[in-house]
Amino acid sequence: MARKEYDTFVLTDLALIPEDKEMELIVRDLTPADRRYKYRSTFAMAMVSKSESKYPDLLWVRLGRGQLQEKPWSIKIIKEVNKFS
Amino acid sequence: MPYPVFKDNREFIKALEANNDLVTIQQEVDWDLEMGAIVRRVCEKKSASPYFKKIKDYPGFEAFGAPLATYKRLAIAMGMKPDAFVPEISNEYVKRTTGDPIKSILLDKKKAPCKENIWTGKDADLFKLPGPMVHDGDGGRYLATWHFVVSKDLETQAVNWGMYRQMVFDEKTMVGPVLPFSDMGKMFYGKYVPKNKPMPFATVIGCDPLAGVAACAPSPIPEDEFTGMLMGAPVELVKCETCDLEVPAHAEIIIEGEVIPNLLIEEAPFGEYTGYRTSPREPRTVYRIKAITFRNNPILTVSNMGVPTDEGQLLRSFSLGLEMRKLLESQGIPITGVFMLPESTHHMVVVGVKPIYSNIASQIANLVFGSKLSPWFHMVIVVDEETNIYNKDDVIHALATKCHPIRGIRKYEQSVGTPLYPFADPEDRKWSRGAQVLFDCTFPLHWSKSDLPIKVSFNNVYPKEIQEKVLQNWKNYGFKD
Repeated sequence: MARKEYDTFVLTDLALIPEDKEMELIVRDLTPADRRYKYRSTFAMAMVSKSESKYPDLLWVRLGRGQLQEKPWSIKIIKEVNKFS
Repeated sequence: MPYPVFKDNREFIKALEANNDLVTIQQEVDWDLEMGAIVRRVCEKKSASPYFKKIKDYPGFEAFGAPLATYKRLAIAMGMKPDAFVPEISNEYVKRTTGDPIKSILLDKKKAPCKENIWTGKDADLFKLPGPMVHDGDGGRYLATWHFVVSKDLETQAVNWGMYRQMVFDEKTMVGPVLPFSDMGKMFYGKYVPKNKPMPFATVIGCDPLAGVAACAPSPIPEDEFTGMLMGAPVELVKCETCDLEVPAHAEIIIEGEVIPNLLIEEAPFGEYTGYRTSPREPRTVYRIKAITFRNNPILTVSNMGVPTDEGQLLRSFSLGLEMRKLLESQGIPITGVFMLPESTHHMVVVGVKPIYSNIASQIANLVFGSKLSPWFHMVIVVDEETNIYNKDDVIHALATKCHPIRGIRKYEQSVGTPLYPFADPEDRKWSRGAQVLFDCTFPLHWSKSDLPIKVSFNNVYPKEIQEKVLQNWKNYGFKD
């Protein structure tokens, strides 16, 4: 089964992003089952790694003005966080 | 007496087609970047408006790009000759909008096309609309690029229509910047937020072209009445489904909901009207939706902000300049005209004046920089009456030859700015701080007449009879132009 792909915007120095620790971030779904939902954003509790292979899904990284980084990271989404309840 | 204008976008699309200013695209187009790329290229080449009949993943929806990105389209929208010159369109706009405001009328819901389909509850899902990914690298899909947001003041009940971009976050949520000095910013952050009250809103997409012009115009007149003045007839409104706001009955898509106090979510980046992605991705205003209503086969309007010229730059320049003209005329300043260059992304305004007293340029700059219009521009060029303000070559010539590099330039520090200024320091963008500058291109009055440089042009240094002789014989000499 193909890996799911997400992306996220990193507004700080990439080196400051903690790896292998639970953190909350906003991710966008790039490979939804229904294509109409592409780019749907969600708050998620997740663990990330700068290694492309460590976690089940791919995470593409963009900087604050949308600059796409060349190599993807990997991500394990633990749960979605609902900010609107 | 109504002007020969259009009650909805569908009539306007037909008029563009009749004037060879529309390309109907029957081929399926992808909402994910392809549609945005087409509209961007249209703006950069000043091509005809694209009318997308088939959008990938969204059967039954259509889209209309670059609706007002040229003066020709603005002239058509105003019911004027397509080849009307900018000064003619400007004078007509000022004439129509200086009379009495025209109150809107309320239609029964059964007569309102925008109520042909109503989605509420779970059905009200933003991803069921073909919001485009406009530019690669944007923070999300922007449903609202050529639209306006309706809101009402909590205390005065004054209604505002304004263009505030909205990015789709999830099925029920949109996010976007609402700058604190904007009309909606003053309402929401000044009145609703301190009381922790959500503010009802309605986003209107695919309105008639003149309502879009009015929503861009920084006029003190309520925008629905301003639209009526431009149309010469009352705008037909209809009540929303979930709040007491009213929206244009003939619009294509209405999104209703509430702006949420004390909650911010990251929005942007986005390709902006300055031609850059400048403002940072940062926490911004949150809209939660409750209902979507729309016409059968709705037509989404799509603007693509970027390098000049798109409708944001063109119309904002047009109306900002003309509101400045009204302001200066109301103060009795002997101006000959005001023109804001759309290519300056409404940052640079040219004011023509009869310099009959000293430092008149400073007086003009003080007035316009001191007005509520000022956060949106930062350069004022004041020229005398021998410069054609609508001719870029003439303005550049005046700037380069008449403006003294020290005495002719006056700086205004600590102004209100916007986060969208590419030249501003990151900290200044964050706090909407700006700076402004005047370029005085008039010769000082105390110079003696014999010291005044004389402009050397065909119109200026030849006797009338020689000019006429040359013009009459021009083709006989062998010239083809």
